[in-house]
Amino acid sequence: MSRVMCFIRVLSPKAPGLFLPVAALLVFSTFLFTPVPVRADDRELRVAFIPLENPEKLINNVKPAMNFLEKEMGRKVRYFITLNYSAAVEAMISKKADVSFMSPLPYVLANKYSGVEAVLGEIYDGKPYYYSRIFVRKDSGIKEISDLKGRTIAYVDPISSSGFMYPQDIFVRAGLVNGGVEKPEGKFFRRVYFAGGDQQAVNSVVGGFVNAAGVSQYALNLLRPDQRDQVVAIAQSARIPSHNVVVRKGLEPEIRRKFIAAMLKMNRPENRNMIRSLYGTDGYVRVNHNRYKPVVDMARKYGFLKE
Amino acid sequence: MICSLKAPGARLALRVRNFLTKPAWLLATGLFLMSSYPASAHIVPPEELHPVAESYRRASFILNLNPVLWPQVWSDLKHIEEALNGVNSPGSKKFPEELAIAKRVAQPVASGDKEPDLVAARKNGSRLVFSLATRGVASLIISHLDAIKADSDRAEVKKRLSQARRISQAFAGTLPYLDPKAWKKMQIHWLEASSHMGAAGVMGIGAKPMNIEKIRESISFIRGYIHVNFSEFQAGIEHRLLPRPKGSETYTETAHVPWRLPPGSNINKQLPRPRQILGMAERGVNEAETFLIAFGDMAFDSAEIFGEPARTLGMSCNTCHNKGVTNPELFIPGLSREKGGMDVSNSFFAGHANNGLHDPLDTPDLRGIRFTAPYGRNGRFASLREFVRNVIVNEFNGPEPDPMILDGMIAYMNEFEFLPNPKLKKSGRLNPEKVSRAALRGEKIFHRKFPQMMGGMSCASCHIPNANFVDHKRHDIGSTGASRLFHVGGMDTPTLLSSKFTSPYFHDGSLPTLRAVNEWFNRQFKLGLERKDIDDLTAYLEAVGDGVQGIENTVHTLESELEEFKFFLSTYERLKQRKKKELITVLLKTVVREVQAHKWDVQDKENMPVLNKMEEKLNEALRAHLAGDAKMTDDKIAAYHALYQKNQDKLK
Repeated sequence: MSRVMCFIRVLSPKAPGLFLPVAALLVFSTFLFTPVPVRADDRELRVAFIPLENPEKLINNVKPAMNFLEKEMGRKVRYFITLNYSAAVEAMISKKADVSFMSPLPYVLANKYSGVEAVLGEIYDGKPYYYSRIFVRKDSGIKEISDLKGRTIAYVDPISSSGFMYPQDIFVRAGLVNGGVEKPEGKFFRRVYFAGGDQQAVNSVVGGFVNAAGVSQYALNLLRPDQRDQVVAIAQSARIPSHNVVVRKGLEPEIRRKFIAAMLKMNRPENRNMIRSLYGTDGYVRVNHNRYKPVVDMARKYGFLKE
Repeated sequence: MICSLKAPGARLALRVRNFLTKPAWLLATGLFLMSSYPASAHIVPPEELHPVAESYRRASFILNLNPVLWPQVWSDLKHIEEALNGVNSPGSKKFPEELAIAKRVAQPVASGDKEPDLVAARKNGSRLVFSLATRGVASLIISHLDAIKADSDRAEVKKRLSQARRISQAFAGTLPYLDPKAWKKMQIHWLEASSHMGAAGVMGIGAKPMNIEKIRESISFIRGYIHVNFSEFQAGIEHRLLPRPKGSETYTETAHVPWRLPPGSNINKQLPRPRQILGMAERGVNEAETFLIAFGDMAFDSAEIFGEPARTLGMSCNTCHNKGVTNPELFIPGLSREKGGMDVSNSFFAGHANNGLHDPLDTPDLRGIRFTAPYGRNGRFASLREFVRNVIVNEFNGPEPDPMILDGMIAYMNEFEFLPNPKLKKSGRLNPEKVSRAALRGEKIFHRKFPQMMGGMSCASCHIPNANFVDHKRHDIGSTGASRLFHVGGMDTPTLLSSKFTSPYFHDGSLPTLRAVNEWFNRQFKLGLERKDIDDLTAYLEAVGDGVQGIENTVHTLESELEEFKFFLSTYERLKQRKKKELITVLLKTVVREVQAHKWDVQDKENMPVLNKMEEKLNEALRAHLAGDAKMTDDKIAAYHALYQKNQDKLK
């Protein structure tokens, strides 16, 4: 069974229940690996990971991938887990970290205010993007999103791409709800919950505690097969660019080039186990900031970015 | 299960293998296939539980068994105790003392001539320990909730809420049934509390303030409920130990709480699958044309022929004897000792046939089973038919099987072939051209008579090479130790054919390798074999137990499974002619369940709607059959076949 578990997608949208920025705070602070203050040594690459619920497991899982990076780049790689996205960004601003892993909305915010830049995008099922979906119970009689008037929905977190901004946008585009995070219920929902994770949100639908969940399409993978048959998606969001790998502003070009090359080398079939340890992705593709332009636009629309 | 070389899945696997001729690609692709397990298929990943919730649920399961596997219980209670030590609660101070008392009750020491009453000890001990564990869990939840103060910061609140909520999952398998209204209310309160957490944002952007008062308000119901029902919890004398919330007005005393397997269980089928060879397929016979074999194949895969709880848990013969071989990863805490085996005379699956002993058996390989009578590890059944009936009725609580079920299963199992092994000649002697010199030296040792071994026997005396390496007898070689069950008559001689793929070894799976087996015999009978002799004998056993392609080359099994369901359904017409209505119910329920279980294997998710429709047609056929509408049943089964035929090429 443990072997099977190795292939459960964690942290990425494929198992999005564990990747949320705020979920990071769920972790015992005593278990956290706080950023290691390292001296500015340009021979060393410093990688900041955003934590799972079990940071010790994460740090063990990524070890082979980090060893691979070290070998490919010919330089020492130091890696650590930060408290949350903010801590990772701060570490990159202060040059205590060179690279990190981010989801789309936190990325565009971080890019705007710290200059971190997306260089690699994750691939899921062969695609560098994914969707949010609105799930309801099959036996609920709810057939379309307008049927949710006066009912409840569980999102993941106010600052989640696939777990709030994109699924909420489905209702906004349909003219059912006006706004974003400040008044998510509008005059449409009876109550909007932020469940704290995709798993909690989608499980709330299965258990009949809420009428709908707005979560990543891959949240379905977090349910048992028999539970998956109890829910159905009634709407899908706009396309969401995949989670990404970011580098700090001013990272030396040579290190940046070698890092990207080494990461792309992990796409090879023989490295699949390694690459899966990095938040469950199927692989990486080169990206630049333009790919996240739609996220920037949506972040502006919902007031996360001011201009 | 059809996966001989003539079956579609095997053909696909062979095409893949033939394509990959370069060794480097073979290795790379092998790794890729290994890494491409469908995380969400009929392979069900274990639930990620808080260690306390996991320990509580496992201990609760085991405490309901007879006998109770106390070492596992103590280990789980230790986890709860350690968690309690980490919080400052009144419960944490009393816990060690109460645990010590419970231990003394559960495992009393004999004093003088007076033997302790072991039945009373188990019952009273289980009740005490279960009560203590429940109070411990309650104490932990309350401690974390109480730590959320008006001036707590967001990180602290998040941590405490998360801990309390995750620990409360200890009751997730029971409270939703015992008190569904309160459970739902608690879940909504968890959602409320989480929603009032606000957001940390990124660099302050998108930040929303936390509303601590609302959070404390939300959790007060949860705290109150846990406190009232479980802080002073004492299990009653009910037959089953459950955390009954007797202080709740909405508690349903008569609720049915379904059995679940405890955390740490693994009843998944293995991937990649072992290679199964059916004799009839090798002879070019289509399973759809051999009613009895196809029907037996279906019954072998069917949970419907078993009773509760195996039926609800979806367990079938194929669960333990995956594709007629062994499932080396199968494990159920409290029932298993080693992976790949379990106690089959237990109080959980068939209480009426419980022997009151924890005596797990290694799951035997069924390859070549028609040659290996008698049956059962201790050879207690002369015929395979008797053995199969006993498994259904007395090991898994099934109803008395229709003779057609037994006939079918025997017909099917009689087709199980050993793996082809070019290292062996027909005589059972080694083929010198295909084996190492060490193996040939080992063969001589295998045939050497040892005066100190049971009156001058050789290994070959029992494992007769020209008789499929069995002698059809039982021998007491001393492997059963002090077991009360097995001290008379010993164990059935197992075949050595295909044994390289069926570790661990011995009736209880206590020896992990063939080398360990040789070393055991050397010690047990003081054979005086040197290390080199053991090396040679091991090389010999590995040659005898070898086989061509013991494991399938693919983990994508949907194509071959769907083909197999077609074979299953091919039995419908004859069952109808014979007016076997109950067996049609078994057939349709089995295929529905199988399609449900395997549909998540589909590699292209775009094809999921087709599989959903196929499942729907089968469900409609089942409903029509149960309603006595034969015409509608026919139509729906035909519709299923038509859908399958139309989309067959895409469904992989």
